[in-house]
Amino acid sequence: MLKKKGFIYPTVLAMGLSAVLAGCGGSDSGEDSDAISVWAMGEEGKLLNEMTAGYEEETGVKVNVQAIPWDQAYDKLLTAVASGNGPDVLQLGTTWVAEFADAGALLDLTEHMEEYPDFDLENYFEGAQTSMKYDDQIVGIPWYVETRTMYYRTDLLEEVGYSEPPATWDELKDAASKLTESGDNDNVYGLDIDLNDQITPFIFAWQNGFEFDAENPNFDSPEFKGALEYYTSYFEEGISTTSEGIDIVQAFKDGQKPIFFSGPWMINIMNDQAPDLEGKWAVAPMPAQENNLSSIGGANFSVFHNSEKVDEALDFIAYMNEVDTQLEWMEKSNTLPSRLEAWESPELAEDEMYSVFGEQLENTKGAPPVKEWERIAQELLASIERINIGGADLDAEMDEFNSKVKSMLE
Amino acid sequence: MPSGKAKNNAEKWIATILLVVGGLIVSLPFLWMISSSFKPENEILQMPPTLIAENPTLQNYINLFTNLNFGIYLRNTLIIVLLSFVGLFFNAMAGYGFAKYHFKNKEKVFYLVLATMMIPGQVTMIPVYLLLNEMGLINTMAGIVLPGLAAAFSIFLFRMFMATIPTDLIEAARLDGAGEFYIFFRLIMPISKPIFAVQGILTFIAAWNSFLWPLIIANDESLYTLSVGLSLLKGQYASNFALQMAGAAFMVIPIIIIFSFFQKYIVEGFTTSGLK
Amino acid sequence: MSQLIKGAVRNRHPFIFIAPALIILILFSLIPILIALVISFTDMDLKGLANWSNISFIGFENYINLLSDTVFHKAVYNTFFYVIIGVPLVIIFSLGIALLLNYGKNLIFTVFRAVYFMPAITNIIAIAVVWGFLYNTEYGLFNYLLSLGDIGKVPWLEHPVIAKLSLILLAVWKGIGINMIIFLAALQGIPQSYYEAARIDGAKRWQILFYITIPLLRYAVFFVTVTTLIGWLQFFEEPFIMTRGGPLDGTVSMALFIYQRGFQFSEFGYAAAGSFVLFIVIIIVTLLQFKLRKADTEY
Repeated sequence: MLKKKGFIYPTVLAMGLSAVLAGCGGSDSGEDSDAISVWAMGEEGKLLNEMTAGYEEETGVKVNVQAIPWDQAYDKLLTAVASGNGPDVLQLGTTWVAEFADAGALLDLTEHMEEYPDFDLENYFEGAQTSMKYDDQIVGIPWYVETRTMYYRTDLLEEVGYSEPPATWDELKDAASKLTESGDNDNVYGLDIDLNDQITPFIFAWQNGFEFDAENPNFDSPEFKGALEYYTSYFEEGISTTSEGIDIVQAFKDGQKPIFFSGPWMINIMNDQAPDLEGKWAVAPMPAQENNLSSIGGANFSVFHNSEKVDEALDFIAYMNEVDTQLEWMEKSNTLPSRLEAWESPELAEDEMYSVFGEQLENTKGAPPVKEWERIAQELLASIERINIGGADLDAEMDEFNSKVKSMLE
Repeated sequence: MPSGKAKNNAEKWIATILLVVGGLIVSLPFLWMISSSFKPENEILQMPPTLIAENPTLQNYINLFTNLNFGIYLRNTLIIVLLSFVGLFFNAMAGYGFAKYHFKNKEKVFYLVLATMMIPGQVTMIPVYLLLNEMGLINTMAGIVLPGLAAAFSIFLFRMFMATIPTDLIEAARLDGAGEFYIFFRLIMPISKPIFAVQGILTFIAAWNSFLWPLIIANDESLYTLSVGLSLLKGQYASNFALQMAGAAFMVIPIIIIFSFFQKYIVEGFTTSGLK
Repeated sequence: MSQLIKGAVRNRHPFIFIAPALIILILFSLIPILIALVISFTDMDLKGLANWSNISFIGFENYINLLSDTVFHKAVYNTFFYVIIGVPLVIIFSLGIALLLNYGKNLIFTVFRAVYFMPAITNIIAIAVVWGFLYNTEYGLFNYLLSLGDIGKVPWLEHPVIAKLSLILLAVWKGIGINMIIFLAALQGIPQSYYEAARIDGAKRWQILFYITIPLLRYAVFFVTVTTLIGWLQFFEEPFIMTRGGPLDGTVSMALFIYQRGFQFSEFGYAAAGSFVLFIVIIIVTLLQFKLRKADTEY
């Protein structure tokens, strides 16, 4: 008996342990077999919870929204892809679409497109349509969008002779360098470029007529190199700084950084954190070179590849993407609707800030649907850093970058 | 020896001054964290930062408690804390096993234990998830707690400390007819109070802040912890620093209480190692 | 006969004590490490993760590629830079503070035990914001203080070498707390009778410190050295929150490199290979310490 004790012990222990643990777990996971599960990110996930009641009433289908913090969303998606334990519907940032579509994690919606007129490509901004497609599949429906525009201090620009915002590259450069010189001290930087922002260099490149060719990478083309020359010249001439400096809101308020590019979220941040600045700033569309393209981002709804409730999932997406729901969502979350039709409503068309974003959204491009895009963008930032800080030669650096991209895409 | 005593006193004063100056520098970020939780958002990133809020507000705390499913998150967090103290006990047993018994391949087994510390956690995250999935533990409290229940750091620390307990003491107890478990509970654990206190603090902090596994294992928010709930307050672009600082300040209070409670055992734990 | 059974039971005890923790470690650490080892010989990416039939074994290709990856070279160099400078500092400071705190037991010392523990429990976002301010080149507190002494601006986080040193300072600050309480606990294990005997023999304070206290803390120093080295070889959080590896990859560490490859670019095979190089480095460093200690006396 005594002898057996040692043998039995681990088994008993393991059983006891799992019993204790199992007792505490899953007590109220409420496995509602009719419910659909939705993953949404960060604050949007929390807010979405308040939006589902209308749909639940309409259809009788329960919606379980799980909010996932932005910083860990990728980890969570990885485990879902690895195990197949995904939700029915998921919110996916547009830059992640290609990668997850390539892995087969997103259901192809092609055969359902006719059934749901809300999903029609024509309903959405041209730039956003890029993120809906991967190869010849339809893998997502734009939920909300964002684009970058130019925020500027109307009063300070007026002082250097710009009563209208700069509309071309040359004007931007001119205005920014005048602003830089106008400061009482050497702490004024006419244009703020966020060096960690992945999309800004590409925005300049698109404006310069660059068009990415995934078959045959062309980052050594004159259009791309020219755009980067323009980009880096701001740092070379001391109009922009590579230094961290102070928070952009305060710098904007103090007049140290009177022009910067940012998305629609900045409107609220400005109103909340710099209320005394009201009337002294505005937004304007991007200054143009060949064109004034900006980037388009935001988030899509996709259906997870092994969802067993495809019809309910699609119904839910269609409900969320009705024009009225989108406008209600905008109220709640301050994100911009993806439906073109929503932009005809007065709260958007007649708002002096939002209407600028509406105008810019007509002229946008999405990140190319290449699964290596994240890496390409990171490599480019590293190259730019070598040029700006390390003093590397731009021509050589871009040739090198292009050959790196080539080997990545092979 | 009056001169010796004076010298002693002077030394104590020097030590105190060093501690105070160093302590102020060391705790600045902590103080800033607390004070920022009472600032409106636009004051947070002001340059230069202020240690005292200019327009103090309780709004952050109000937002915090209206925004969180506080009850559920707190309950889950407390369950994790309790279960991880079971883990602490396992680690203490293992540490004792390595410290005071001899068996074949002991050192090799111990190196295996240490090896589990040597790889970044991110690398094993997906394999662990898949294992838990096979075991049917996804979306359960067991799945959240199990991966972190045993920790090599803790086992190693227990081993090092328990190795200093004189073996004669244990032998004497055995001769008196005490069983092995009796010895562990009645002799070893009381002697090891300081190290149990240290480990208690560390275990509590880890469990109280547990974040990644609750998030990854949970398939709905009913298994989320306080840390996960707080991280949901961070937007993609706007970071709500003030709200996050309120959350952080709130999270740190129980840690300070636990620390104050356990620390007296760290420095006042009695020792019998002098009986040698 | 009963003697024999008793012996067998007694021999079983170590396993009973070790089993619970060991079973958990094997299941949730060792087996996953083995899985990661297998992955390191594959080209696993997101596609492979979704469907294992997309994975192919590529032998040592990942490891060979690491040999020619300049970013990885920098990561290895930086990691050793962090470890060689940072680890001794952590040990000296945490031991020094523990010795100071051990001077007294009155309220001041109680309070300061908590104060020196605060960095270990300060929220990571608060750390990033406050240290970001301290290190800010244009507006930071450090450069302001230096300007009072007529010293020019130091690019704390904007120069590859200085940035490494800045991150070390931050990590030392953050790492003191936990090691300090371990030393404090160890200090209680030293019998008062040793000190009394030494004092009666007329030993000076520094003699007591160097000939009694520190030798008797040897096991705690060993523990702290081993675990701090293991921790610092996986240096991650500081560059992750402060510099993201920049400028010019000047602060990228091996663990950060692995994270970027695995969790930003989804090159799981490559990241796993990188982590096994790190794993082997840590094993060698750790075994070396155990061997050196053997040469010393067993406690």
